[in-house]
Amino acid sequence: MASSLARPLLLRQTALAASTRRAATATFARQQLIRSTITKDTARVAAFHASSRRSLLPPGPQVIKGTVNDPAPIPETSPSHGSYHWTFERLIAAGIIPLTIAPFAGGSLNPGLDAILCSLLLVHSHLGFQSVIIDYIPNSRYPKSRKAAHWLLNAATALVGVGLYEFETNDVGLTEAVKRVWKAQA
Amino acid sequence: MAALRSTSSRLLAAAASPRSTILPSVFVRSMASVGNATVEANPKSSTDSRMKSFQIYRWNPDTPSEKPRMQTYTLDLNKTGPMVLDALVRIKNELDPTLTFRRSCREGICGSCAMNINGTNTLACLCRIPTDTSAEMKIYPLPHTYVVKDLVPDLTHFYKQYKSIKPYLQRDTPAPDGKEYRQSKAERRRLDGLYECILCACCSTSCPSYWWNAEEYLGPAILLQSYRWLADSRDERKAERKAALDNSMSLYRCHTILNCTRTCPKGLNPGLAIAEIKKEMSF
Repeated sequence: MASSLARPLLLRQTALAASTRRAATATFARQQLIRSTITKDTARVAAFHASSRRSLLPPGPQVIKGTVNDPAPIPETSPSHGSYHWTFERLIAAGIIPLTIAPFAGGSLNPGLDAILCSLLLVHSHLGFQSVIIDYIPNSRYPKSRKAAHWLLNAATALVGVGLYEFETNDVGLTEAVKRVWKAQA
Repeated sequence: MAALRSTSSRLLAAAASPRSTILPSVFVRSMASVGNATVEANPKSSTDSRMKSFQIYRWNPDTPSEKPRMQTYTLDLNKTGPMVLDALVRIKNELDPTLTFRRSCREGICGSCAMNINGTNTLACLCRIPTDTSAEMKIYPLPHTYVVKDLVPDLTHFYKQYKSIKPYLQRDTPAPDGKEYRQSKAERRRLDGLYECILCACCSTSCPSYWWNAEEYLGPAILLQSYRWLADSRDERKAERKAALDNSMSLYRCHTILNCTRTCPKGLNPGLAIAEIKKEMSF
């Protein structure tokens, strides 16, 4: 067990030493251009997660919280981000299907139905993008980027909401627009 | 020695030679490989040698600044067992003793030899060597894991996550007959397809969601085990188990990609188990 604990430690030290050397050389970048490129290489290889130079946001050295015998921490229970959220997501996704078909099958354009479809689409895409943000911007590593992305998404959703409201009230509405585009002559 | 030859060649040899009617009284079994075998001393001397190349990922923690590299080994398939693990053991015995990998049972029960073979996570002991000798075989450690050495991944976090789901029976009421916790046949049947999991981590390390969020997302293997205890009629802490999963990360990072089901070397269906957990928790 001692070796299994020592090994990540050794790796971390190697990576840390390389990165601090890299930071130090950055200040004398002009004089030591060659040396800095060497240490940059060392940092890249010592951190050892990318064999390619094009690697985007490579993961850092391994971090193990607690000892190897502790269980991984369990996040706080919050159904509104867990089970309720999931159920809500599925209900909306399932609700969109009949709402998409209804105006074309029924042959009538009801502005109320159109408004419901628009708002469901808006919520659906908002939840979808939220998932993308949670997946690709880990809170543990980029908490600020995560927050910024969420606010950007909120702003975008509000903007689209206002746009759809304008389109529904002052223009023909979503279903009619799709119908016209579908039947448009070249 | 017999173990080094394929079944068909052994059968052919047995058919060709005039067989003595008396079987040897002592049955001699050889090891998987023999020490004095000349591996590629003169491959052209034998007319039916089938030389196949194996490209294996190498990285040594003693020289951490050295880039990982692929090393090629060539073996005669006629003298090697049928599975990839046989080839690896033979390489380690006869060509390069520094090659490092985990192995134990060689029959798909222990889950030690999980690795990425020709782009698929699988157990080396259950994976046949393709007989096509023109194509090279590529063997990597499990993807997106921290490598300890060569083909050995660091599964510390994986095991810590397993510990976090409390993988044992939790009960407060004693058994009615004071002896054992009984199950009906139907209740026992619910555990089929769940208890067989050997925690080889093939599925978890094939899951893109687990690649991106391994710190918090539990991954298919651990969630399958979670469901194994949720589905158990004898367990009495279902509410607590569900509450531990009820957050945005532990369970709901599963997006039904189903790489887990596709790759499972034991033929289990972690994707279905996760869907069952989601269904149980939804209403």
